[in-house]
Amino acid sequence: MIQGTVKFIAAAVIACALQVPAFAQTNCVELKTTGEVEKEVVNDKGEKSKVLVAAADSKVVPGTEVIWTVTASNVCKQPSDKVVITNPVPEHMTLVPGSVVGVGADVTYSVDGRTFAPAGKLMVSENGATRAARAEEYRHVRWEFKNPMPPGSSAFGRFRATLN
Amino acid sequence: MSRSTRLWVAAGMFSLCGAWVERAYAVGVAAGTNIDNTAQVTYSVGSVSATATSNTTSVTVAEIVDTVVTLQTPSVPVVPGAVQQEMVFRLTNTGNGPETFQLQMTSALGGDDFDPTAAVPPIYFDTDGSGDLSPGDVPYTAGSNDPVLAADAFVTVLVVNDIPTGVSDGNRGFSRLTATARTGSGAPGATFASQGANGTDAVVGTTGGEDEATGQYLVASIALNAVKSQAVVDQFGGARPIPGARINYTIVVSATGSGTAAASVFNDAIPANTTYAPGTLQLNSVALSDAADADAGDFSTVPAARVRVQLGNLTQASGSQTIQFAVTIN
Repeated sequence: MIQGTVKFIAAAVIACALQVPAFAQTNCVELKTTGEVEKEVVNDKGEKSKVLVAAADSKVVPGTEVIWTVTASNVCKQPSDKVVITNPVPEHMTLVPGSVVGVGADVTYSVDGRTFAPAGKLMVSENGATRAARAEEYRHVRWEFKNPMPPGSSAFGRFRATLN
Repeated sequence: MSRSTRLWVAAGMFSLCGAWVERAYAVGVAAGTNIDNTAQVTYSVGSVSATATSNTTSVTVAEIVDTVVTLQTPSVPVVPGAVQQEMVFRLTNTGNGPETFQLQMTSALGGDDFDPTAAVPPIYFDTDGSGDLSPGDVPYTAGSNDPVLAADAFVTVLVVNDIPTGVSDGNRGFSRLTATARTGSGAPGATFASQGANGTDAVVGTTGGEDEATGQYLVASIALNAVKSQAVVDQFGGARPIPGARINYTIVVSATGSGTAAASVFNDAIPANTTYAPGTLQLNSVALSDAADADAGDFSTVPAARVRVQLGNLTQASGSQTIQFAVTIN
């Protein structure tokens, strides 16, 4: 009876040990989002320039454009492959057409969060007819990075959205 | 002028056709709303795939302070010495949070011919929604019942003035309503920390948190006069009013004063003991058919025998309008 229990525990331990590689390094890719707003500043010489300030410290009102940046960092000692970042356009906001940036990534869009396609190729049905989705209808942005991320490297995607 | 002659001037005696543009406003997301952003990543390390979620970045929508005042009555026709004459304004909160507004009126403005005299009190809310000053309307007292409007809500406000006696036709007098947000006003973009809805910061919007609209009183006293004359022609070549004799009526209608008598209608009953002579109705010597049709005149026996001529919009410049018809004595 006791022997049987010990054998069972041992089997469980071995089973866990086999899965260690998957769980030991919980988040090889850490993801961080920031929201910023462009603010015009004037220096001592009266020259105007634009700086980015954290949206949370800014006065965001309807019509304000917020620049959302999502940064992926590989914190593991192995490269990460097939890195795909998906960012929903925040509720109450509308994507600014042509504002999506993603160096080294293929960018696709989605209206429903399930079907993704490049700009202009995403179709929606309306009144029984199919048409291309308009940029302001995109509710999700996806960046598929073409190359593996080496250890310690980072990559980012960025888009602008206007508060409704 | 015969007692049976009636001159009807349709409601809307003065031309009030001036158009004003109703601007549309999108208020936007309510002040205090949290905008959250969370992203997801999928990736592979060797043959193992994994998913991670980002932090959630949150932004609270600040309050934008904006208001728009629009005039609802482009030109108010008045007569000299008229009292309690109202202009109708609409005050709309075009911001994205609830806001309290202070109201002010002034009638001492340049560019017009006279200064209307502010009634006491000078500002009312159109409490009963009638669109004019009526007993149910509540007067406005600054600081006491300042209108509190939710985002995109509006209130109808009446500005009330008396008209001086010494004004003449065509004179104009301006009166202005100004609404200022209690939270603050000033240059667009100016901020008031923690003064917005739900403790958010308030930001002055494009209207500066203050707006005004100016209306005008137009002294316009138009009067329509009708002068009726008759000529009797009997069947024996004389002018005796005997059975079978014909009476030819001529009515001259003229407008005097300024303004427009809109959609004026001439209406005249056929006298008792006479019968309308078919086909005799004329306007300015042009024959009008007896049927109610495309031309301006018609004859009807329902409910009582009468002739009617649509004179349209008459001004003093229209000149006199001459209507003729005939009856036969029974």
